[in-house]
Amino acid sequence: MTQACHRKCVPPHYKDAELSKGESVCLDRCVAKYLEVHERMGKKLTELSLQDEELLRRMQQGTGTA
Amino acid sequence: GCLRAVMAAAPPPSAPGGPEPPAAPPLQYSMLLQHLVGEQRRPRAWDPATLGGIPSPPKSEEQKMVERAMESCAFKAALACVGGFVLGGAFGVFTAGIDTNVGFDPKDPYRTPTAKEVLKDMGQRGISYAKNFAIVGAMFSCTECVVESYRGKSDWKNSVISGCITGGAIGFRAGLKAGVIGCGGFAAFSAAIDYYLR
Repeated sequence: MTQACHRKCVPPHYKDAELSKGESVCLDRCVAKYLEVHERMGKKLTELSLQDEELLRRMQQGTGTA
Repeated sequence: GCLRAVMAAAPPPSAPGGPEPPAAPPLQYSMLLQHLVGEQRRPRAWDPATLGGIPSPPKSEEQKMVERAMESCAFKAALACVGGFVLGGAFGVFTAGIDTNVGFDPKDPYRTPTAKEVLKDMGQRGISYAKNFAIVGAMFSCTECVVESYRGKSDWKNSVISGCITGGAIGFRAGLKAGVIGCGGFAAFSAAIDYYLR
């Protein structure tokens, strides 16, 4: 996350030691987006894996009774 | 490849011949996901002092609040306002000092003005310049801060855009054409200053 946001938000012009206002605003937004995407992807992946699980269970029940 | 191995190590086939097949244990893949990103992930205690590689003492709440206030647009605008006031006052008094019309009395043009009249004139002129500079400075700083917060970048375009807005707003009171000229002039001026400062 640090690398991605640094690449997006901090251009390599090093005239000032402090983060300027624009850069710090950009970093705030970058981190918030990253965490939200992380959470959504986690939920989606667990949903998909539950579906896979269901499918596998049904296949096994099918082969078990067959 | 790693995930496929996990899936292959998924539950052994249920034993045939029972009245009902036993419920298949959950996939190791989905258990892994639950632990990584799902319901069962363990909360980690991030130590803010060590985040970022180089250990530094954690900032207290008051320090963070003060820093946030000092970086805010309102504080920057107020700072520019005060700075503009002081600078405008100095500039006004200075120009009044080199102006031959100070203390001029229209009723008696050949009388040399008294020191008190001259000082009063210089003071008035200084105050009027100071107010103008303060307003212009506050407007410019405020618009620049807002534009920079909106764009999320900090480069030369911020000062040009806010210079145009400020110059346009000032000149607009005297008509549309004056507004356009003010926009262009002030934008060029602030671009020059920015170039010099960077």
